[in-house]
Amino acid sequence: MKRMPLAIAAALAATLALTSCSGGTAPAPSDDSGVDSPDALNIGNFLDVTSWDPSLADIGFDGPYLSAVYDALIALDKDGNPIPSLATEWTVADDDLSIDLDIRTDAVFSDGTPVDADAVVKSLEYLKAGARSGEAYLNVSSFEKVDEDTISIRLTQRDDTILYLMGLGRSYVMSPASIDADSLGKEPIGSGPYVLDSATSVAGAEYHFTKVDDHWDAKTYPFAELSIFPITDATARHNAMLSGQINVQYGDVANLEQADQQGWNVAQRVSGWAGLVITDHTGAKSEPLGKLEVRQALNYAFDGAAVLAAVGSGAGVATNQVFPDGGAINDPALNETYAYNIDKAKELLADAGYPDGFEISMPMSPIFEMWKPSAEQALNELGITVTWDNMQMPDYQLNAPNYPMFISFLAMDGNDVATVSRQLTSVQWFNPEPDYAKNEVIAPLVEKVQSARGDEQTAAIQELNQALVDQAWWSVWYQANNIYYTAAGIQLQPVVGMMFPTLRYITQG
Amino acid sequence: MLLFTAKRMLSGILLLVAVSIGTFFLAHLAISDPTAALLGTTASPAQQAALAEKIGLDRPLLVQFWDWLSHAALLDFGVSWRNFQPVADQLAIKVPVTLSVVTFATLITAVIGVAFGMITGLRPGTWFDRIIKGISVVLFALPGFWVSLVLVMWLAVQLKWFPAVGYVPPTQSVEGWLRSITLPAISLALGGIVAVAEQLRNAVIAQSRQDWVRTLRSRGLSATRVNLHILRNASPAALTVIALMFVGLLSGAIVVEQIFSLPGLGQLTNQSSQNGDIPMLLGITVISIVFVVLINLLLDLVLGWINPKVRVA
Repeated sequence: MKRMPLAIAAALAATLALTSCSGGTAPAPSDDSGVDSPDALNIGNFLDVTSWDPSLADIGFDGPYLSAVYDALIALDKDGNPIPSLATEWTVADDDLSIDLDIRTDAVFSDGTPVDADAVVKSLEYLKAGARSGEAYLNVSSFEKVDEDTISIRLTQRDDTILYLMGLGRSYVMSPASIDADSLGKEPIGSGPYVLDSATSVAGAEYHFTKVDDHWDAKTYPFAELSIFPITDATARHNAMLSGQINVQYGDVANLEQADQQGWNVAQRVSGWAGLVITDHTGAKSEPLGKLEVRQALNYAFDGAAVLAAVGSGAGVATNQVFPDGGAINDPALNETYAYNIDKAKELLADAGYPDGFEISMPMSPIFEMWKPSAEQALNELGITVTWDNMQMPDYQLNAPNYPMFISFLAMDGNDVATVSRQLTSVQWFNPEPDYAKNEVIAPLVEKVQSARGDEQTAAIQELNQALVDQAWWSVWYQANNIYYTAAGIQLQPVVGMMFPTLRYITQG
Repeated sequence: MLLFTAKRMLSGILLLVAVSIGTFFLAHLAISDPTAALLGTTASPAQQAALAEKIGLDRPLLVQFWDWLSHAALLDFGVSWRNFQPVADQLAIKVPVTLSVVTFATLITAVIGVAFGMITGLRPGTWFDRIIKGISVVLFALPGFWVSLVLVMWLAVQLKWFPAVGYVPPTQSVEGWLRSITLPAISLALGGIVAVAEQLRNAVIAQSRQDWVRTLRSRGLSATRVNLHILRNASPAALTVIALMFVGLLSGAIVVEQIFSLPGLGQLTNQSSQNGDIPMLLGITVISIVFVVLINLLLDLVLGWINPKVRVA
């Protein structure tokens, strides 16, 4: 489910800081009605594009780059629901084993060839084979051209997440010629609202784009000029905005006061959760963790708000849920379920048969050092002796899931069904052997979610969320915010699941 | 002089080979499975295996090393594992950025450092000498990154004379290029100016007290000509510091490149390390060692030209 390197995600959680707020605040104009919107959009992004080839690209911070040059088949609304883009509409078969998509006929690649069903099928096949993009198409058996403007996605089983993942950034359509030439990584050819100007761009420093005048969705992309600057250093990014070189930035909460002084707009929304990932709920790797009371003790022992204040400077929401704060599933009332209570934690541990704690090994990487003191303090108070195995980040991602529990920061999804899949049921780097089916409380609820539809499914997910909290499936400490600053006259709508939203969410006004 | 140069070049080549060997095996030791970092966590074992085969990781390490070395000897450093573009092509883009900043910083250091060193060395103990020494202590004590930030806030954010971030290639605009490298170069140069000035000052004071200086003055040579003789005899110390500083700045540039968001070798090194892109790391290592060897060779030649006794050392 990786859309951004975990290392980066963790680093972000540390650097972001803001007073606790409800997630999903829409960008609030800073009393600048009547301000002329700039014609040039200059974005200060956190990371360079991982690849101009959508099959090799991440989702995290790649959104602005890729959405500039490519059109997606399906986009997402701000709440993570699929909406039309190149595909004007779609129909899911009654048996859930195929999805037919109508393709618009007025889109043209920048090499002059039309976007048609053949091109879409070729792109989808290429994306399915991609090491990164393939995550969206695990249940696809084939892509078929039905007619000149219709394609069909054939599935091996019902897949409630495919449309969401396609909208998240896994359905960019590429010129067939550039796929054949294997040249996408160097010279992206899409049908997007802008074309990369390679002559004036400097790889790794600044990318300039030329607007496509007759783009079929030109009104969604109002800026006449577009430049994107990957600037990893938060201070450099902020200085660039202060000097006027950029007018949109992935922000640092440390600059919030100055942003207000400058009259910038501020937009923020939760992006990921920090806490303990428990990979063993049966006691196979660590006997104590198989006991509910022990997992609950691990929840009571952490003061999420204090950890958020200490490590994340308060930029987020203290919660014990993995569903995004402010969304349809997250229930603020549940956040009190494990209000910090070390005595209660010790009592539960004693009830489970571990009055003096127990021993456990956990991995550690430099990226997670900032959470280590909090973890050590809480675990020590419970008498839990931790042996820390130090390793570098790539090794952490390979090895951490082999431990019964580990500290992590995991990106979240705006789509509730996707959250169930990617946090709980599907194989991910942090969850290589999902064991939910062995839990008699969780398993039937997951089944209920997977078989229900619409409102019934939403209700089932809410029930599942309650059960996951009760079962102490993780020890979630808090959800961290992403924050964005935009100059007067520019609005940005954060989207959970995208570390930096695609261009359709950056508008004039 | 020819033999002297040949010896120096041979030792440089040996150093290059030794460091390349060390880097190759250390990189492979430190990065256990590059395919995971390169493909991301969503890649299947089959995709990882396919990539391993594509980039030759399935071969014995010694075979990989020989393959790399035999190609590198022909200046073919292979392709980046991240984007499969030739390493040499990417180095050709990144090296000029770092070289621009480091060379400009060295130039600033040399000009100002030599001027301060000469002036204070020829008139030690004067008010000017004391002021320069005071400034030197302050400059030496200030953290480079802090100076960088102050310069940005003042000259880029407030006065808008220079860009706060970014790099403009000279092929696009010479003026833009100069403006984009000025602040990073000044940030890098400040500490070096102090070191060069101090070294030269002490050497000038020492040379000024020599008998031959008194002899030259007694023969009626102008002060300017005498000072030029003093400078020539005092210059080895300053030249050595400048050369060492140039080498040091190559690594110091990493921080400055981050602060000013310059797409140079520092940035590339960071990215390549995180991605486990070993061919790129090896290319960066080789090019860095080449610079170090060339600078040292140039220094030896200049010192040999200034002082013939060095050539037989």
